[in-house]
Amino acid sequence: MGIFNGNKAPKNDWSAMSTVVKAEAKLQALGEITPSRRAGVIYRNSDDNAFLNDIESELKTILYVGAGATKTSFEIEDDDRGMRWIVLEDGNFSDLVSSVYTVGNAIGANGAGDNLLAAVFELYFTGTVEDNTYRSGLRTYWIYRYDRKAFYPFVPTGDNEGDRDRPTEARLGHDLRKHGLTVEKSLTEWMGLWGIPF
Amino acid sequence: MYFTMFMLGFLYAVFALFLYSAGTAMIFIAPIIGIIVAVQYFMSDRLILMSTGAKPVTAEQEPELHRMVKMLADRYDMPMPKVAVIKTDIPNAFATGRNPKNALVAVTTGIQQRLNERELQAVIGHELAHVANRDMRVLAIANFLVTLTSFLMTMLFWNMLFGGMGGRRNNNGGGIMMVYLVTIIVYFIGQLLVLALTRYREYGADHTGAEISGDPGALADALEKISGTIANIPDKDLRKLQTANAFLIIPAALKGEGSMNLFSTHPPLQERIKRLRELEQRMRYGLR
Repeated sequence: MGIFNGNKAPKNDWSAMSTVVKAEAKLQALGEITPSRRAGVIYRNSDDNAFLNDIESELKTILYVGAGATKTSFEIEDDDRGMRWIVLEDGNFSDLVSSVYTVGNAIGANGAGDNLLAAVFELYFTGTVEDNTYRSGLRTYWIYRYDRKAFYPFVPTGDNEGDRDRPTEARLGHDLRKHGLTVEKSLTEWMGLWGIPF
Repeated sequence: MYFTMFMLGFLYAVFALFLYSAGTAMIFIAPIIGIIVAVQYFMSDRLILMSTGAKPVTAEQEPELHRMVKMLADRYDMPMPKVAVIKTDIPNAFATGRNPKNALVAVTTGIQQRLNERELQAVIGHELAHVANRDMRVLAIANFLVTLTSFLMTMLFWNMLFGGMGGRRNNNGGGIMMVYLVTIIVYFIGQLLVLALTRYREYGADHTGAEISGDPGALADALEKISGTIANIPDKDLRKLQTANAFLIIPAALKGEGSMNLFSTHPPLQERIKRLRELEQRMRYGLR
């Protein structure tokens, strides 16, 4: 703990990540967004880690078997930038969030916490928010960065690095914070993920 | 600037003569475009209310904003303009109206939240300067000419493809091609001149606003503060986080949303800020 964050309550991943459930519920109740059934966890794979080497069967055990298993289905995908994605699918959003948390937590508990980059949720705008500012059908990603323990919105407009709708992101970040989501305060940390595999 | 306006007028006068001598019937579409642009011009305040979702606010609803606009309007010696607020987090402001009597100034809630009183005053001062300088009139004329040529261009293009306009094409085949080419050239030169014109108008409003407030640094601060926020969202991919150094983040250019709002892409914000800072220096040290 450094001298500069002494007076802040220690944050953990669950207290930050679970705010997405509340924020999503509020917006959905207003008829404004629908979550997609899918979310992903992205991490840098490592050959030295036994758990990561055996990720598929480990996750099957964690997600499908035992008490509290959410039965969320998953797929493993490697992207062209040397990263591995666990793509999870569940029709119940709060189960989906639990499973995303569980996957990240398991990776962290097995000595690969530093390999975790982000958890990514996909949500669509269905209605309009307050002032007709979000186009119906607009696809947004809400990225949770493990090193920052906070979310930020990502609205890509193309596949090339830098193609993003900054004004919409800035506004969405503001609105999501209002709805209780833990949003990354420093905009310079809002790094994109182009070519999300879901 | 007058040279640019003169060149623009000259360009289109020559073009009109050219069209006339080429015997193009299309010169008659000019009045139609004229009417469209005139509607735009005379209804600009209502159109902008409709298209941006700006809501007029009374002095009771927004006393601070009204007081600020009133004070600035007095300094410009113009009647109190209509005041509107747009409910959006995106920081911006604009003004419209063909003359000071029909002016409207609008700010977004995003800009109200972000700027302090001195900065917001500078922004509104800049917008009122557009009104005082009659920039909407200049824009409307420029708009008319560019719309006319682009319309002509499209019509001539289809005309050449399908050889329409009655049976007159037998004596006119190569002629239309020629008219088409000239129209394209006029269109592009016209665009360049209009861009130069809006650039001058923007610098002009910065300058007028600074003279009225005596504080050029205030607008520079406001522009820096606002361009900073959104442009800080990086171009970089999260996967590069550990591999590249994290310091070089080049802010992407803000996208423009029309020509007379606070952040027209044109002229570049950096250049405007630089000029305002220079003006600030000159005012502070009494240099001319």
